Amino acid sequence: MIRLAIILVGAAILACLPFFTGAVFMQFAINALILAVLTQSWNIIGGFTGYVSFGNSTFYGLGIYGTAVAMVKFSLPFAVGLGCGAVLAVLAALLIGIPILRLRGPYFAIATLGLAAATGALVSTIDLAGANTGLVLPLVRADTMFYELALGLLLVCTLTVLWIATSRFGAGLVAIREDEDAAATMGVNTTAYKVIALMMSAFFTAIAGGIYAYWISFIDPSSAFDPTLNVRMVIMAVFGGPGTVLGPLAGSFILSAVYEVLSSWISTAAALLFGIVIVLAVIFTPRGIADVLVGVRRHGWRYLTRNIRENRL
Amino acid sequence: MLLVQILVNGVLLGGLYGLMGLGMALVWGVLNVVNLAHGALIMLGGYLTYYLFTGLGIDPFVALPIAALGMFVIGYCLQRFILNLIVRSAMLNTLLITFGLSVVITYLAQLLFSADFRTINPTYSGANFAVAGITIPVVSLAAFVIAFVLAGAVWWLLNEMTIGRAIRATAQNLTAARLYGVDPRNIYALTFGIGAALAGVAGGLFGILTHLTPYVGATLTAKSFVIAIIGGLSNPFKVILGGIVIGVAEQLASLYLGPTYIDVISFGLLVVVLVVRPARSLRAA
Amino acid sequence: MKTSALLATVAFALAASGGTATAADNVVKLGASVQLTGTNANTGRYYQDAYRLTVDKINDAGGIKIGDKTYKLQLDILDNQSDVNLSVRQYVQLLKSDNVDFLLGPFASNFALNDSSVAEKYQVPMVQGGGASGQIYSRGYKYIFGTLPPADDYFASTIDMLGKVDPTPKTVALVAADDSFDVSVAEGTRKHIKDAGMKLVLDKQFRDGGGEFSSILSQIKSSDVDAVLWTGHETDALNFIRQAKSLNVNPKDFYSFTVGVPTADFRQALGKDANYAFGMTSWLPNESLKDKWFGDAKSFADAYQKKYGYAPDYHAASGAADVETFAYALEKAGSTKPDAVRDAIAKSDFDSLYAHVKYGENGQIDLPQIVVQIQDGKLVPVYTDHMLNKPQYPIPAWGKR
Repeated sequence: MIRLAIILVGAAILACLPFFTGAVFMQFAINALILAVLTQSWNIIGGFTGYVSFGNSTFYGLGIYGTAVAMVKFSLPFAVGLGCGAVLAVLAALLIGIPILRLRGPYFAIATLGLAAATGALVSTIDLAGANTGLVLPLVRADTMFYELALGLLLVCTLTVLWIATSRFGAGLVAIREDEDAAATMGVNTTAYKVIALMMSAFFTAIAGGIYAYWISFIDPSSAFDPTLNVRMVIMAVFGGPGTVLGPLAGSFILSAVYEVLSSWISTAAALLFGIVIVLAVIFTPRGIADVLVGVRRHGWRYLTRNIRENRL
Repeated sequence: MLLVQILVNGVLLGGLYGLMGLGMALVWGVLNVVNLAHGALIMLGGYLTYYLFTGLGIDPFVALPIAALGMFVIGYCLQRFILNLIVRSAMLNTLLITFGLSVVITYLAQLLFSADFRTINPTYSGANFAVAGITIPVVSLAAFVIAFVLAGAVWWLLNEMTIGRAIRATAQNLTAARLYGVDPRNIYALTFGIGAALAGVAGGLFGILTHLTPYVGATLTAKSFVIAIIGGLSNPFKVILGGIVIGVAEQLASLYLGPTYIDVISFGLLVVVLVVRPARSLRAA
Repeated sequence: MKTSALLATVAFALAASGGTATAADNVVKLGASVQLTGTNANTGRYYQDAYRLTVDKINDAGGIKIGDKTYKLQLDILDNQSDVNLSVRQYVQLLKSDNVDFLLGPFASNFALNDSSVAEKYQVPMVQGGGASGQIYSRGYKYIFGTLPPADDYFASTIDMLGKVDPTPKTVALVAADDSFDVSVAEGTRKHIKDAGMKLVLDKQFRDGGGEFSSILSQIKSSDVDAVLWTGHETDALNFIRQAKSLNVNPKDFYSFTVGVPTADFRQALGKDANYAFGMTSWLPNESLKDKWFGDAKSFADAYQKKYGYAPDYHAASGAADVETFAYALEKAGSTKPDAVRDAIAKSDFDSLYAHVKYGENGQIDLPQIVVQIQDGKLVPVYTDHMLNKPQYPIPAWGKR
C-alpha cells in the first residue's frame, strides 16, 4: 500500500515537472524515463523470474522499427505504430522464448547475448525497413507530449510490476527464480509463466522503443538494436535492486543523473568515472540500493564492509 | 580453389580466435567468472606489444612473451585486489564488475594511448608463400602455431604440474582445496593472471594482423565468449577447435551469404550448441 | 529511496533551468558537440581543432561586423563520447541552457542526421562539415547546411579518370561497408560504373568495423578483376590493404579507397604498403585556395600543423569552412536573428581555404572529389576533371615493388 502511494505521488509530481523546467531538462528526462521503462521491464524477466536477459534490446529494436515502418511506409498514425511495434515484439518474445527459456541460469543469458546483433543484421537486409540506411520519421515539436507519454508508460509498467509483486502470478515467478524444479512440482506451469513474463517484458520495452523512435526522428539498425543498451538495463536494475518494485526505478534515475552530470561537468573522463562507480557499487552494495536501506538500518555503516566479508574469498 | 583458400583463411584465423577464447575459458572454468573485461585485456596486450616494438625496437614476436608477463602481473593484481572481494557473490555481480573494469580499462587506454589507431607493422608482416595455388600468410600461420603451442602449455600446466592440480582442485571444491593447504586467493589470482597473459599474446598477434584502438575490446570479448561456449571449458585444445569452427563459419557465411549474416551465423551456432549439449558438461574442469 | 531520487531529480532540474543569464553583449556564440572520446574520437578531433583555430583567427583579425557593431565569436564545444543520444541532448543543452546562437556540426552522417533535427526543431541554423549522406538533406529541413559533397558521387571523378588511363579497366569489384554513408556511396558508384561501360563483376558488402576481409579478398583474387573500388571507414581500409598484401591479392590495374589515403595517420600506420593506393579528397592544402582570414589553404594547413602537431585533412578544412560560413552570413545578414542568418547562409557565395562555398537548394555543397595517390610516401593529387599529375598506373603487384 505504501509502495502504491509512493508511486502515485511520485508520478503526480513528475507529471507537473514540464511546467517548471526547461528544454534541456526535458531532453534529459525523456531519455531517463525511457531508460527507466526499459529497466523496469527487464526487471520482470530478469529480476522476478531470475532469467538474466541480454535480448531485451531486440524487443526495443522491434518496437522502434514496428512504429517507424508503420508510420513512414504505411502513413499510419503514431498510436497504431506503437501497437504494431508492440505486437511484433510480443510475437518475437513468444517465438524466441519457447526454445530459449528452456535453458537455465547463465546459459539463458548467454543464448540471448547475440540476439540483438542478429536481429539487427536481419533487419538491415529488409528494404521495407530502409535496409542499412535507416528511416526518417516526421519531426514534431512536442517534447512535453513525449515526456508525459514516457511517464505514463513508466507508471503503467511500474503498476504492473507492483501487481506482479503481490499476485499469485508473481509468486510463481519468484518460485521459478528460487528453485525451478521445486516450482514445477508445486504445480507452477513454469514454461507458460516464463514465456508470459518475457512477453510482458517485451511489450513495455517495445512501446518505449516506439516513443523513442518518434521522438529522436531518425533510426538505423545499429542504434535500434544496440546491445550496450541492454547492458545498461541490467546495470541499472542490479544497481537499484532486481526483483523489487522501486529498486530498478531508483537505480535507473540515479545512474541516469550521475551519467548526465558527469558527462556535462567533466565531459571526457565521464565514462571512466562511470566505470569506477559500477565497480565500487558491485563491491560495496552487491544486492542493490534497495538492500542498502534495509541493511544500513540494521547494521549501520558496517553494512558495506559486511558485504565484502560475505563475498570475498 | 576459392573454397579451399577460404577454408584455409578460416582455419588460420580460427587459431587466433581460439587463443582469444582460451584465456576466457580458463578463467570461466576455474573461477566461474565470465570475464567481460577479457577483450579489454586483449587490447592492453596489443598496446604493450606495440610499444615494445615501436618504442624499444623489439621484434613483435620476441615482445610477445614480455607482453604476456606484463599482462600476467596486471591480471594477478586485478583478481587479487579487486575481483577476489566479490568472487563468491552472484554470477550477475561478477558480470557487472568485469563490465565496469572493461569500461575503466578502455578509457584509461584512451587517455594513455589516444584514440588513434595503431598497427604493429614489422617488415615481414605481409610475407606469404603459396602451396598448390593456395596463399598462406606467414604471420597468420605463426599465430595459428602459437595458439596450439599455448593450448598445449595450458593443458600441460593443468594436468602435469602441481600448481595445475591445485588450480583444478580449487575449481572443483574450494573447501577441500583449503584443507590441502592451498590458498585459493593466490590460486584464483594466478589463474586470472594466466588468462590475462593468454589475452596479452592474443592481443599482440591481433595487433600484428589487424589494428588496435582502445575500443576493439568489446567485440573481442563477445567473440571470445562464443568461442569459449562452443569449445567448452574443459579442454584447451577444444577451445582452439571452437575458434576454428567460428573462423571457418564466418568465412563461409561471408562467401555464400554475405558478411552481414556473420552475426546471425555465430549466434545460431551458439544457440544450437547450448540446446544440443547438456548444459552441465560445459563447466567441468 | 524514491524520495531521495526525486530530490536529486528536482535539484538537477533546478540546476539545469537556472542558467538563464544572457550572453555578454557583442559576442556571437557558436556551439558544437563533437566526438572527443569513444570510437569516433580519432576523426572528431579534426572538427574541434578546426573550429577553434578558425574562431581564434577571426577574432584575432578583429572579429566580425554585424550592422555597425563589431562582434567576437565564442565557441562552446562539448564531448558527446561518440554517443548519438548524448549528442542530441548536448545540442539541446547548447541551445537552451548555454544560450548558443548558432550550431556547428558533429562528425559522421548518423550523428548529423539526429543532431540536425535539433536545429530544425528550434529553428536555429546548423552548418556541418561531418556528414555527407544524402539523407541529411532529403528531409526538407530548412536549417541544415553541409560542406561535404554528396556521398553518391564520391567515385565519379575516379571512374572518369579510369576512362582516360591505359589500360582502361573493364571489370570492377565494389567493396562497401554496410553503414548508411557507405551504402549511399555504393549505390551512386554502381550507376557510375554502368554509365562508364565497365562491368561490375563482384559487388560485396562487409560489416562496418569488422576488419576481416580474407574471404572478400580471396574472391577478388579468383575473379581476377581489373580494378577495386572500396568504401568504408579508415581502420577497415587499413586492414584491407594489410590483408591484401599478406594474401597476395593484386587487382590487375587499380584500387582506390574513399577514406584513409589523404590522412597522415593512414600513411604512417601502413608505411611502404600505403604506396600506390588511390583515394580521394574534397580538399588539398593548396595555395590556389584563397581565404579571407588565413590567406590561403596552405597557410591554414601550416598554422593547424603548428598548433596541434598533426596535419589537417578535408574534415578539418570543411570544419573551418563551416565557421567561415557563419562569419560571412552574419555580416551579410546584418543581424543575429536566426531566420535572417539562415537566409544569408542559403545565399552564401564566397571563396575559402576549403573551396568555393555555395549551398544547393537542399543545403548541401557540391564539390568534385580530387583523385589522389600515395607516391613514395607522399600524397599526390592526380585528377579532377583533367590530369593534375601523372598517376603511377597500373599499380604493380605486391611482389614487384
